[in-house]
Amino acid sequence: MTTPMLEIRNLHARIEDREILKGVNLTVPAGEVHAIMGRNGSGKSTLSYVLAGKEDYEVTEGVALLDGVDILGMDPAERAAAGLFLAFQYPIEIPGVATMTFLKAAINAQRKARGESELSTPDFMRQVKDAGRDLHIDADMLKRALNVGFSGGEKKRAEILQMALLKPKMCVLDETDSGLDIDALKIVSDGVNALRDPYRSMLVITHYQRLLNHIVPDVVHVFSDGRVVESGGKELALELESKGYAEFDEAAA
Amino acid sequence: MSLHVPVRIGPAEAKLIEQLTASGANAAAERLSASGLPTRKVESYHYTDLKMLLRAVPELAGATKALSEPALRIPGAHRMPMTNGVADIAGEMPPGMRATLASGSALTERDDVLVRLNSALATQTLKLEIQSRATQVVHVDRRTEGAAAHMNDSVHLFVADGSVATVIETFSGTDEAHLSNHASYVAVGKGAELTHILLDLSASAATNFVTAEYQVGEGAKLRTLTIHVGSALSRMNLFARFAGEGAHGDFTGLNLVDEGQHSDITLELRHAVPHCSSKPLYKQIARGRSKAAFQGKIVVERDAQKTDAKLMMQGLMLSDEAEILSKPELEIFADDVVCGHGSTVGALDEDSMFYLMSRGIPKPVAETMLVRGFLEEVLDPVVDEELHAALEGVVERWLQGE
Repeated sequence: MTTPMLEIRNLHARIEDREILKGVNLTVPAGEVHAIMGRNGSGKSTLSYVLAGKEDYEVTEGVALLDGVDILGMDPAERAAAGLFLAFQYPIEIPGVATMTFLKAAINAQRKARGESELSTPDFMRQVKDAGRDLHIDADMLKRALNVGFSGGEKKRAEILQMALLKPKMCVLDETDSGLDIDALKIVSDGVNALRDPYRSMLVITHYQRLLNHIVPDVVHVFSDGRVVESGGKELALELESKGYAEFDEAAA
Repeated sequence: MSLHVPVRIGPAEAKLIEQLTASGANAAAERLSASGLPTRKVESYHYTDLKMLLRAVPELAGATKALSEPALRIPGAHRMPMTNGVADIAGEMPPGMRATLASGSALTERDDVLVRLNSALATQTLKLEIQSRATQVVHVDRRTEGAAAHMNDSVHLFVADGSVATVIETFSGTDEAHLSNHASYVAVGKGAELTHILLDLSASAATNFVTAEYQVGEGAKLRTLTIHVGSALSRMNLFARFAGEGAHGDFTGLNLVDEGQHSDITLELRHAVPHCSSKPLYKQIARGRSKAAFQGKIVVERDAQKTDAKLMMQGLMLSDEAEILSKPELEIFADDVVCGHGSTVGALDEDSMFYLMSRGIPKPVAETMLVRGFLEEVLDPVVDEELHAALEGVVERWLQGE
């Protein structure tokens, strides 16, 4: 059997005294796109933060393997260099740091961590230009401070641009559709679809079925009360949309 | 009834009194004998108790030649060396600029010990007059050289009506326990535009005091940038006054303090006439066991209607043992004005750190990026590219701990 890209077993995590993840089991094989659906407060976003290594959360039990490697002992930068990427629901504004400067620092830091040489400036510029074109990101936006004064759509497009440039193995997209109008949703989804690859997996977190019309998943998982309670094909998303989450709460209880 | 309590005179004060008396400044000597150096009970020295902090005063500086390398090189700038209080004006001046020497200090009389010391002990003033719209940066390289010395020097800068200038004054010298007490008097003419930078690059054993006075004329635009990097003990006194209507002042500063340093920037900004605006923005970063203090007072006089003044201090703590102090004040005597002040102090934002690290940027690099971003707002408006790069270099070396 080949190694799955992401394997989560019995993951428990808490913030202060409150347990939020209560035994998550989830396996995403290489090249597949999985969706996690669940209502607000079910712990979906917590799962994405715990995977990326946010300090506020304490993992009390379980393992998370990225391409067979345990990542829970790593800091967020090490996880990124190992191939994990989290597209934030609310990208953070960083005043005084130009987007271009940040992109170059991130790419070269990951290359360095993997023992690769730095990307030359012309190569870097070309990659940014190519990736930016499809996402409707112009040079002017890249000169501005990272995410500062970006519209909701610009922030999400900038996240996907980072994803395209950093070429992760495993992408976690946290509520990427929130705050997007229909045109912006199309641009962002096209950007994500263009990155689908047999060697890259994705975990798409959302609570609307809408996004999954654009980014069609191989598997849909239903998340409730801190764990996966049901998994199925893409039709499961439609079922959720018509019946609501209540039915699945019983499975969690 | 007033009760006279004699103050205890310590060794530093005794030495200063002796130096004042020997220079014939009897009134200043008597004043110091009567009140001593200011303690924290004196409002304007509340965070910088000179009686406690100034332990020793070296002998008065003698004339000497500059031996060390300039602490800052700015390509394309016209550099004017000034060593132990003596300015070298022999070189050719850029067009529209004139340098002369005058005796005594350039400062206006005021009730402040550093002003009194400089007025009594500075023997000459370098007078710079700029009457041009040329963009060449002027660098006044003020140094305290040789063995530990008590040095008082003075600069008078006049930017004529309608002129445009960028002037940077750096403070540096040998790594000795100097006591340097600098004075700058800056007059900005009608409709003139001036960027004026004060940069303390003194060595780690030094004590560095600066008093700068600004007179801002009608319709003038002034940007000041006061940066502390060097010296163990530093106090920068800034007194600014809007004297003509329709002027604007951006008063900015970076107070960077490291292990063992104590640095205080104190600003008193006086709106004396109507229709002027000012935006003081000061940023302080402290790491190790250190203390950074900022006091900013805006006074709006009764006639200064339609004043628009906003004062901001932002502090960034990089260690638990550092102290950042801030005291913003407004004194408003006019009734039709817009004035405000704010002050924030905190550590680096955890969400921002997580975001940068989640892109693969290691923790120390992410920290440096955020600190650099925090400072950029103050450095960014310096338009001369070479000067901007030189200042970024200074900050970068501080960030790298050099």
